[in-house]
Amino acid sequence: MTSRSLLALVRLSLFRDRRGAAFSAFGVAMGVGSLVFFLGLGLGVGKVVREKVFPQDARLVDVVPPTLSLGAFIGGGKIDQAAVDRLAALPGVERVYRKMTVRVPAVSRYEGDFFGARLRMGVEILAVGVDPGLVKKDIQLGEFSDPGPGKPIPGVAASRLLEIYNKSFAPARRLPQLSPTMVVGFAFPVEFNRSFVAATAPGPITQEQVQVVGVSDRGLLAGITIPLEVAVRINRSAGVDAETFTGATLQAVDPSAVPRVVEEAKRMGLQIDDQERRLAENAGAAVAVTTSALALLSALICLLAGVNIAHALSASVRARAKEIGVMQAVGASRSDVRDLVFAEAAALGLFGGAVGTVLAVAAMKAVDLLSASYLPPFPFKPDTFFALPWYVVAGGVALGLLAALAGAYFPARHAASMDPARTLAG
Amino acid sequence: MICTRGLKKSYPDPGGELVVLDGLELEVKEGEFVAVIGPSGSGKSTLLHVLGGLDVAYQGEVTVAGTTLRGLSERELASFRNSLVGFVFQSFHLVPNLSALENVRLPGYFGQQGASSSARAEEVLARVGLSHKKEKVPAQLSGGERQRVAIARALYSRPKVLFCDEPTGNLDAVTGKEIIGLFQELHREGLTLLAVTHEERMSSAAQRVLRLKAGRLLADGGAE
Repeated sequence: MTSRSLLALVRLSLFRDRRGAAFSAFGVAMGVGSLVFFLGLGLGVGKVVREKVFPQDARLVDVVPPTLSLGAFIGGGKIDQAAVDRLAALPGVERVYRKMTVRVPAVSRYEGDFFGARLRMGVEILAVGVDPGLVKKDIQLGEFSDPGPGKPIPGVAASRLLEIYNKSFAPARRLPQLSPTMVVGFAFPVEFNRSFVAATAPGPITQEQVQVVGVSDRGLLAGITIPLEVAVRINRSAGVDAETFTGATLQAVDPSAVPRVVEEAKRMGLQIDDQERRLAENAGAAVAVTTSALALLSALICLLAGVNIAHALSASVRARAKEIGVMQAVGASRSDVRDLVFAEAAALGLFGGAVGTVLAVAAMKAVDLLSASYLPPFPFKPDTFFALPWYVVAGGVALGLLAALAGAYFPARHAASMDPARTLAG
Repeated sequence: MICTRGLKKSYPDPGGELVVLDGLELEVKEGEFVAVIGPSGSGKSTLLHVLGGLDVAYQGEVTVAGTTLRGLSERELASFRNSLVGFVFQSFHLVPNLSALENVRLPGYFGQQGASSSARAEEVLARVGLSHKKEKVPAQLSGGERQRVAIARALYSRPKVLFCDEPTGNLDAVTGKEIIGLFQELHREGLTLLAVTHEERMSSAAQRVLRLKAGRLLADGGAE
């Protein structure tokens, strides 16, 4: 039998039992639809976690001095310029970006116009100085270097901080929404070596202006990122440690070199600050586990759909025993009969899979639309909760097809083994 | 056209073995209309199934339309049934929910060319006088019309031999007479027909009558 004839017979067969075929395809559609929906949701949420909540650069490794170490007594465990030089010389390390926290407290007391709104506030500020290269690509205004005393200090805001401000802080206080472009150029006062709650250093209070010159994923989440020379200058003038660094970010030549870099840094007595990475991995794992559980549930629905198809086709083959006998009498071979049952199942599986995928995409659009219309803004709220790569769509349809073909296995075998002489005589 | 030599067919039976065909010798010439008669259970339908390639569990030699059936593969047998012989059954065996035209086209889906011809189906439906009912499903047809559709289906592939199993068994006298008339027309057109029946009216229309008893053909013309 040619494929053309097979298609014609399948069309005739399914058309005359439209209700049964629709019921079988519905089961497949539900399984495939829920699978595509949940996989799309898992991939979409995972993407938000990876790219927005915990943006990670696969080539960067943060090292910090150990919290408790004998290294200090034997000359290791702290990050001074010599340690930085050794880190830079490690195999696989392309560049080292030094970091130094401003080791005195700082506050910002702001009163005035804030993008068209009146703002009066006082907050404790954390500041960290970094080598300019770390945030260079995100600088939009002037130079990211020490401008010298009395001039505004260039600062980089964390993009995640801006997101949290826009989605939580601003709505609660009726402050304007800010885009990264808007905040560039904004200046605010900062008093170093002053605190509302903590003890200060013996040095003088330094009054400075910090001007935002860029917004970066690499910026300090709970504070402001400033040039390293400024942090050194402030620490020195406050009489605190301005020689050792609070950490360094190592840029590996490529992601595959990271494990070796980590190993070498640990050998130097340093710790790996992988808190962000672990948070990202934990969040990603939670999303992956939830997605897997829901995908498994969907796969079970597909399995049930396959069982349903097996049931429906078995009943159909029994009911059509005489018809199959007639087909054999007019020239159908056993393989023709088997192919016909498989082809009917494949048609149901493909149709159900395609309908399920279309329904899943429609449900995704509906969820995104409802989210945009009814869900209040929250940090990192995405435009879409879903990601739908082609392989999820293709995999969904393929699973529908597989479930249907698996369900057709025994009915097809039974149909092909029928004895036409017996069925036509009975 | 049909030739059997030492055809034996038996079924397992609690009491041993039930012999249905016992060394049967049969010769039917091209263009003959032969009726095989005999009581119920005498093996008439079994003979038809063996000759038509539906039943392959037998002993002996069977040649139909120049094809020796023993040794044919399952696919070759299917091709033989598709192109060289046609079947007409007592219960019509039409596919419900398919129109008369689609029922007639059915053999075309399994043919060598793989193209089922609507024109050919209409031609044979016209031949049996049912052009006007081609879109009707079997439930919308009378018994006689259903059997005409079944005959049209059997004629679709231009077979050399038509095997008929009690073709008038489910029809009333008038309708049965019409169907027998149709067989006689087909015979006059040169088709070889072998019909198994226990009906007098069918056997009397045949050119030659063979009596099957205890698995053997006793003699032509009903003489034992």
